Amino acid sequence: MHVDKKTQKYDRQLRLWHANGQTALETAKVCLINGTATGCEILKDLVLPGIGSFTVVDGKIVDGSDVGNTFFLVPDSIGKSRAEVVTEFLQELNEDVKGFHLPENPIALIENQPEYFLQFSIVITTNIPEKPLLKLADTLWNAKIPLVVVRTVGFIGYFRIALPEHTIVETHPENILDLRLDVPFLSLKQYVKTYNFDTLDSMDHGHIPYVVILLKYLEQWKQDHDGKLPSTSAERNEFKQLIQSGKRNADEENFDEALSSAWKACTATKVPRQVEEIFKDSSCENITAESSNFWIIVRAIREFVSNEGLLPLAGSVPDMKAYTSGYVAMQNIYRQKAKEDISIVRVHVHDILTSIGRSIDSISDDEIDSCCKHASFIQVLRYRSLQEEYITDPKKSDIGRWLRDSQESIVNYVLIRAMDRFYESHNRYPDAATFFLEDDAEEASEEARSEFSTLKTYVNILLGEWDITNYPEHLDNYIHEICRAGGSELANIASLLGGMVSQEVIKLITRQYIPINNTIVFDGVKSTSSSYIL
Amino acid sequence: MAETQMQTDLQAGLETAVNKDWPGRWSHLYKILDRRGPFADPSFTPDHGDEILLNTCRVLVIGAGGLGCEILKNLALSGFKNIEVIDMDTIDVSNLNRQFLFRPSDVGKPKAKVASEFIMKRVPGINVTYYHGKIQDKDDDYYLGFQLIICGLDSVEARRWINATLVNLVDDEPERIRVLVDGGTEGFKGQARVIIPTITSCYECSLDMLGKQRTFPICTIANTPRLPEHCIEWASAIHWPKERPDTKMDTDDPIHIQWLYETALERAKEFNITGVTYSLTQGVVKNIIPAIASTNAIIAASCCNEAFKLITTSQPYLNNYMMYTGNEGLYTYTFEHQKKPDCPVCGNERVTMEISMEITVEDFIDYLKEKQDIQLKKPSLSHAVTNEKIYWQSPPVFEQKTRPNLERKLIEMVKQGDEVTVTDTTLPISLQIVVSYI
Repeated sequence: MHVDKKTQKYDRQLRLWHANGQTALETAKVCLINGTATGCEILKDLVLPGIGSFTVVDGKIVDGSDVGNTFFLVPDSIGKSRAEVVTEFLQELNEDVKGFHLPENPIALIENQPEYFLQFSIVITTNIPEKPLLKLADTLWNAKIPLVVVRTVGFIGYFRIALPEHTIVETHPENILDLRLDVPFLSLKQYVKTYNFDTLDSMDHGHIPYVVILLKYLEQWKQDHDGKLPSTSAERNEFKQLIQSGKRNADEENFDEALSSAWKACTATKVPRQVEEIFKDSSCENITAESSNFWIIVRAIREFVSNEGLLPLAGSVPDMKAYTSGYVAMQNIYRQKAKEDISIVRVHVHDILTSIGRSIDSISDDEIDSCCKHASFIQVLRYRSLQEEYITDPKKSDIGRWLRDSQESIVNYVLIRAMDRFYESHNRYPDAATFFLEDDAEEASEEARSEFSTLKTYVNILLGEWDITNYPEHLDNYIHEICRAGGSELANIASLLGGMVSQEVIKLITRQYIPINNTIVFDGVKSTSSSYIL
Repeated sequence: MAETQMQTDLQAGLETAVNKDWPGRWSHLYKILDRRGPFADPSFTPDHGDEILLNTCRVLVIGAGGLGCEILKNLALSGFKNIEVIDMDTIDVSNLNRQFLFRPSDVGKPKAKVASEFIMKRVPGINVTYYHGKIQDKDDDYYLGFQLIICGLDSVEARRWINATLVNLVDDEPERIRVLVDGGTEGFKGQARVIIPTITSCYECSLDMLGKQRTFPICTIANTPRLPEHCIEWASAIHWPKERPDTKMDTDDPIHIQWLYETALERAKEFNITGVTYSLTQGVVKNIIPAIASTNAIIAASCCNEAFKLITTSQPYLNNYMMYTGNEGLYTYTFEHQKKPDCPVCGNERVTMEISMEITVEDFIDYLKEKQDIQLKKPSLSHAVTNEKIYWQSPPVFEQKTRPNLERKLIEMVKQGDEVTVTDTTLPISLQIVVSYI
């Protein structure tokens, strides 16, 4: 077998998101607004795993400070277009990726030609002030294109995802156990009957798969208890005793496995609450020609559940002590049932497609299979828009509550917002040494005092907008820290945020694993991060 | 000698540093380094970061792989001008999805060399020396020559070795403390920690936090395979030695992997087992851990952020552990991992073990290998008071001489309450165990 160079190169990541995830990455068009240190680090971590293409929009001319904190610039770059130089250096990282640049002021572009951004699969911004950001966010929101807003200053990092809806099938749960022990299907029941425990010799008895052991004793239990499962902890212990009584000698591992999984047998198989919520969603209710494949398949699964009472079977069986033949036979029974379930779902999918005038080939069997297999773990994320966060519906009471706890990182969010307000009025970031020890208090210059109080004014304006009347005293220190940082971008924090943001972008593009909702604040002073819905 | 060399290096570095700076180069860093901050250590002095930017701080980076490449870049951009990197590996195609200092044309070259040359070419005035070899080749004086050591390793054994070496280095003299910043990743997860030898918990203190490696019982592999992995293990552990006794298996050789894959596939067919693929074969025999650029960036940057804070005192540093997971949302958990009083490396309490009176020396040795918080590889045992050798793994003459003891009961040589000294050739560890029979 010949393994091509690309598979070899991407081997370590293919083990996480597989060929379908990689294909999604390779067709993605990523836009970065501003080739800052943080922006370049984000792109580095996306170019390496092999996105389709990237475009850097940046009107800045490289200066000495850019070269100081950005790995993708050299002293010779000073005086040249930042978009052009970083694109060249980033492109070098992976010959499979195409790099483009647009050396234009992104704020003007957003103002005059926002539709430019509609060509991308995802847009990432670094250091864009509030007003143009809201306009861009609005444009992308209407086109359902994900936006990631990123900021770093000093030791603080912040990012936010905005997107109307994100649906995920492959959430990659730790395990997808779906054994139906409490409600065995016919072929499984028949299979259990092929084992006559009493007549087996000790070797064979020690190799009965634990699933069969549990099913046998649970059947016995149900017969003695009006068909009910063991429910109280006393009953569960009694059930375990029953299994224990069947054990012939101390080292029968299969019985030990049965005992340690006994609780699973006592747990009723049902549709998880989060999946029921998804079934009730209006997108599931109202299927139209515009519905995504995800919603069509989920609706088909809902039809399946309303007929069968349960989700389609996942069809996988964990390893357990057993003979090969017994294990493989049982595995095939689960697989066969899963196939039957999928074929019923497929009929529903085709019916739905026909009813909305779409071709039945427009959803592949693989897509249906995967959704059935992961049915218990599907996720729908609905983000709040930036418009809601900033203007129409800020999370006033949550922010107020979080701010009362001096350990919460939300202060860093408040400071980043205040810093942006400062920038919009002064066209620069707060930048002065404002914190002094008692011995050198006289050093505090007039300028420093005024920088501190100006930034504090913007903090207070924001607090006012959120109806927070008591100023939390611990904010003072964070104001000092932002003044100290002076709009700087430290290479370490840029790289750390680069890693976090690129990871989320990969999750969004591949539609695998679960992205954040919706804001992360990283505090590099305390080495902590926090997640907020804002 | 080593000291004179270091002095010369310092001088040379100092000159290049002055020559290669351009206007504005460090302006981002100066904001932090020239200004006091409310969270900074009171001892912090706003001084242009003399420690790092004027090159008096030497840092050692262990590993030039996924984490190492990131660490080198971050240190260089953070003003660390005197760096050494050690790595024993050469570049493989599968490194290129994250080890961004390497290009396809570098495949086969030593990682440490290529990485150091790349950094020096890209970031002017940074002196990165390299050593292509094992960390075990270096002595105490070598490690004492650095203020700080940052580890980006994928091997538990190498981490245990450097950790124990740095703890032993202290020898009751605080000025011999060399801080260790350690990072590790696996897929979407990782951790960064700060180890101050003898002061904070050390790597060995937290051994029980490591997940147990997935192993398959030999009888399953030989008689009742059920998973594709069982067939692959059979091909490599049973069929290879039988069929190709004269060829040493090389898991980096695609022809060998191909042979294992075909053998495993054949066996799987025989047992009606599905799922043997080339990629799975490679994964199982090489014990491949998924690795991606983004997680490496997060963990490496975390390590370097801590290194920067430690050296400049511009902010408090991590005390002492940060765990990160990114597969479901993004979570970090920052906490103080506690020192283990009976840690075999940094603890001063003896370990008491309750064991059966019936236990043989061989079983006791197996027990020491499997115990999650000790995990020895090749333990050698002696009586702590009489120095009588109970079983020694090496040198061969002692191994032969003590081998008959393996079948004897431990109690014949070690009485109730006696102490056993356990050493391990793969680790600089000496463990005192008080035996308590039950």
